Amino acid sequence: MSYAVEMREVSAYYFGEKKPAIIDVTLTIPINSLTLIVGPNGAGKTTLLETILGLLEPRRGNIRVLGHDIPREAAKIRKLCSYLPQDFMKPPGEPFSVKDVVAMGIASNREFGKLGNEDWKLVEEALTMLGIAELADRPIGRLSGGQQQKVMLARALVRKPKLLLLDEPFSALDEDSRRFISTSLLPKLIDSGCTVIMVSHDASFTPPRCDLTIRMEEGRIVGVVSHDLRSST
Amino acid sequence: MKLSTIAFTMAHAALAGSAMSLIFEIDPILLGGLFAILTAFIMGPFSDYLRIPLDSASMTLFSIYNALTFIFLMMAPGPTLASEKVGQILWGSVLAITPTYLLILFTLTSIYVSILYVFWGRICSILFDPKLAEAEGVNVKRYTYLLTALAGIVIVFTLRITGGFLVFSLLFIPSASSLQISESLKKQILTSSIIGAMASIFGVSLSFSFNLPVGSCIVIGAAAIFLAAALLSALFRRRIVEAIPLEQR
Ligand SMILES: Nc1ncnc2c1ncn2[C@@H]1O[C@H](COP(=O)(O)OP(=O)(O)OP(=O)(O)O)[C@@H](O)[C@H]1O
Ligand SMILES: [Mg+2]
Repeated sequence: MSYAVEMREVSAYYFGEKKPAIIDVTLTIPINSLTLIVGPNGAGKTTLLETILGLLEPRRGNIRVLGHDIPREAAKIRKLCSYLPQDFMKPPGEPFSVKDVVAMGIASNREFGKLGNEDWKLVEEALTMLGIAELADRPIGRLSGGQQQKVMLARALVRKPKLLLLDEPFSALDEDSRRFISTSLLPKLIDSGCTVIMVSHDASFTPPRCDLTIRMEEGRIVGVVSHDLRSST
Repeated sequence: MKLSTIAFTMAHAALAGSAMSLIFEIDPILLGGLFAILTAFIMGPFSDYLRIPLDSASMTLFSIYNALTFIFLMMAPGPTLASEKVGQILWGSVLAITPTYLLILFTLTSIYVSILYVFWGRICSILFDPKLAEAEGVNVKRYTYLLTALAGIVIVFTLRITGGFLVFSLLFIPSASSLQISESLKKQILTSSIIGAMASIFGVSLSFSFNLPVGSCIVIGAAAIFLAAALLSALFRRRIVEAIPLEQR
């Protein structure tokens, strides 16, 4: 098993749509790498991430994630993945506190029972890593957009995923936070064995180690640049 | 929001089911429960496949159930709309509170509380963001079905006391008031149960002293608490604002 994601001629449709949202997508993403997905609005970037997780069932083609068939074994594989959605904002009335939201990342992986002390320690660590430990007890609905995005990133990280899917993780963040995440947090994560797939518009904050850039347009992959190859030739 | 829409429709399904049971002269709990639970299971797919919003699906079903209720009542054997049984289904009755009934309610409550306790983390995850929960590997459908099925059973049993028209009010008003006064979900569940219990005690005593229908008394009690809670939270907010020094406002 050397690939984190393998897709072969995959087309996926949204419910009731005649036009596929992604068309004939074939790609392989090696384990322990960082992949950047770029492309204009409506290109199918979010759809690609959700198809990888099996949230959208492909009508054609096959998908393997971490060596397992999707969507057949999706429930099992999702426990090894984390997802940071593009639309993460919650209304002001949302009652859950920041640390509860982060803890959900762990709870989702448990069959039953309450979280123990070690779990709450992990939650605290994740919040500290992103510099929002002092927000732990605030209701998430009353935070700023950037703060909420960091909470959702903390939730993704606390699961210690093998595959991390980030949909525009910088959209609400300030420059310092973008720089910290792309130059320090993500590289460390990859060194520890994680595979990262990231959708981003902002090319100026590409992490120093970026193995693959995939360009999408109108549901198709129109370009793949492998940076390893480029530097060795 | 979505859950309360489903509960609302289920309550009226239970009413129609109980009315139907008059025709066959069987226990209203059986058909009422069947209707309520079936509704919970068909509503989602019904609105998905026909591509109509859940609210519209709910209102359509609600109208159908109300119409059915009256048809069934008319078809019921015996003098129409006059019999005690019809009254019990529409307005509820204190006489429904028997030791067996209390035992069943107690068992149901224990089941509900233990399910909440055991699956708390995942249920929170679903309530917060069902799509993200699904992406993290939670079987959202299974838990939603479990919770709605339980809600259906609770509705059917509450129906006996409050009657078909008011069961939704008893479910809805306490939770709406708890939203006014408490922040976290745990506190909301706790306060809404306490408010429900207080309203019931108030309603039952009022109904006994003035010989009024018990369901209506409970609902009026709950509504009074709701108003009090709303006033209280308004007052508190104002006080919080006043406590902040002027220059910081
Ligand atoms: N829920 C949906 N139902 C139907 N069609 C959808 C849905 N979501 C997206 N689409 C369509 O699928 C295509 C791809 O959308 P997608 O959200 O993947 O784009 P994207 O590349 O993530 O764009 P953005 O940069 O705006 O986030 C678009 O044509 C869009 O109209
Ligand atoms: Mg997108």
